[in-house]
Amino acid sequence: MGKALSWLLGGRRPLASHLLLAPAAGWLIVFLLVPAAGLALLSLAKNGAYGQVIWTFGLHNYRRAFDAKYLPVLLRTFAFAGGTTALCLLLGYPLAYYLSFRAGRWRNALLIGLMVPFWTSALVAFYSWMIILGKEGLLNAALLRFGFISAPIGILYTPFSVLLGLVYFYLPFTVLPLYASLEKVPRSVVEAAYDLGAGRWTAFLKVTLPLSLPGVMAGGLLTFVPCLGDFLTAELLGGPRFYLLGNLISNQFLMAQDWPFGAALTCLLLIGLIGGLWVYRRWEAEDA
Amino acid sequence: MPEVSRRDFLKAAFLLPAMPSLLGACRRSDSRRVVNFYNWSNYIGKDTLPDFTKRTGVEVRYDLFADEDEMFAKIRAGARGYDLIVIGDFLIPRFKALNLIDPVPADTLKNQGNLAPRFRRAAYDPDETAVPYLWGTTGIAYNKKRLTKPPTSWWDLWDPRYKDRISMLDNVRDCVGVALQLLDIPQTTRDPEDFRKARELLIKQKPLVKQYSSSSYLNSLVAGEIDLAMTWSGDLFQAARDNPDLDYCLPREGTYMWVDCLALMRGSRHREDALRLIDYLLEPEVAANIANAVRYATPNEKATPLVDKALRKDPRVYPTPQVLSKLKLHDVLDPEQSELWNQTWADVKVA
Repeated sequence: MGKALSWLLGGRRPLASHLLLAPAAGWLIVFLLVPAAGLALLSLAKNGAYGQVIWTFGLHNYRRAFDAKYLPVLLRTFAFAGGTTALCLLLGYPLAYYLSFRAGRWRNALLIGLMVPFWTSALVAFYSWMIILGKEGLLNAALLRFGFISAPIGILYTPFSVLLGLVYFYLPFTVLPLYASLEKVPRSVVEAAYDLGAGRWTAFLKVTLPLSLPGVMAGGLLTFVPCLGDFLTAELLGGPRFYLLGNLISNQFLMAQDWPFGAALTCLLLIGLIGGLWVYRRWEAEDA
Repeated sequence: MPEVSRRDFLKAAFLLPAMPSLLGACRRSDSRRVVNFYNWSNYIGKDTLPDFTKRTGVEVRYDLFADEDEMFAKIRAGARGYDLIVIGDFLIPRFKALNLIDPVPADTLKNQGNLAPRFRRAAYDPDETAVPYLWGTTGIAYNKKRLTKPPTSWWDLWDPRYKDRISMLDNVRDCVGVALQLLDIPQTTRDPEDFRKARELLIKQKPLVKQYSSSSYLNSLVAGEIDLAMTWSGDLFQAARDNPDLDYCLPREGTYMWVDCLALMRGSRHREDALRLIDYLLEPEVAANIANAVRYATPNEKATPLVDKALRKDPRVYPTPQVLSKLKLHDVLDPEQSELWNQTWADVKVA
């Protein structure tokens, strides 16, 4: 058994490695490449009567997407995604640092604690936030009780509630890669810095932080990218004035019954993301 | 509260790729007799379906939707396996054009004659493809305690005094419909200029609006988060059970009434039993129980005398003949007009 396994995992035997890769490759082809190709095709089609798709191809949906009326949505989406990423990094870095360097025997318990909110459906979580943030909600009740305010204030359906929801939901996405990369920082190197006379701050700024930058990038990307497509947070915690790109796309499919246009918007978002990642990779490779 | 928020829950559940209930609906089980019924949430009596099963032995697999645009999107996306579906009058021409529903065969329903004449062969469904189930109006919900004077007009929803205390239905038919009505523009217009005006009117209102929602706004109303809302009559009366300060107003400009209908899905494998369920829902006692539970009006003439007196005599539910004469059905739109409406609404949402 052990022998067979080591043979399979040997890696130099192409058949075995192909066999092992097959499920993942099959999965990606069936559930990623095929739908993406379908989406690309759909984005070139035309929207017909009552939202029927007419298969005549052209770039009209893409031309429509570059209308100035969508610019505020795009900017708002980038602002929220950027803000969320920045906040997640600011909150997440100290947390990851603590988990990696200081938590000791509590580490596993704390890691699980970090993951627990993640096991709840986002929907349930956002409904809980609605209950907390509402005019008759827990937060307003507490602020009233302690005399900070004299009448309930509108916290729900503001930029604050959207940002709060996004940070709440995406924080684990930021913390886990940060934690993983901080774990990989060799403790001996940090100790060497101390030995060479560096103070705590100097050692952190000159050694630990630079070594954990890949984690910062990974955590940032893992937060920023899904934020760009998020629609549930804005839908539940945002009011009508916080319409994001994700809402625009989901509305094409669900409300406006204009699937080709929705597909074109999705493709543009994907192209933008892949382009951005490619530029980043190039920049990183040149840097190295 | 959980009851009302179920709609939003479903709304998001729909967006998950695999919806268990849908899989359930697709499961083949020819040995047992079932009807797969797709309806609005909170839109049936508590015992309606269990009683049907008890009487006939036919199991009803009941599935709910949150929002009719999304229901339509789901059906269009290829969700099959439903036998019976509730759709608004507005959607019937669309479902017919897309071959999604089959006509209810004439003379198969022994209770169809219970329906009031004004609900038969209506403009939206001249050949009686579908069977009227419940009807209601679109109006203004408000919190009596928190407003100094009750609203009387649609324009109250444009009153800057109520900034951030207003919610609008997230529904193209109602919002664009009211905007056109306030501008004295017929619904059947195709003039882009008319739609530009409607769009501007709605965008002008947007800074005052706290929420565009067809369901969760009811929680907000009950909780006092908002004080004025465009609403569907029965939904508000249901919410008023949780907060007696809530009241309903039919705007003096007149408003729209709509009729939700039972329709047979094309390709249904349980047609006989689906028809039997429709016939059952048309029985006077059954229809009256549903009307009592959901607080919408029943189009069933024989059932009306059996509806709770308080409800039956309530002019907000069964408007006086004078008000009734001012209620209009939505015009039947062709695809080009629908597209103009959809675009107008989409642009309002983006603005």
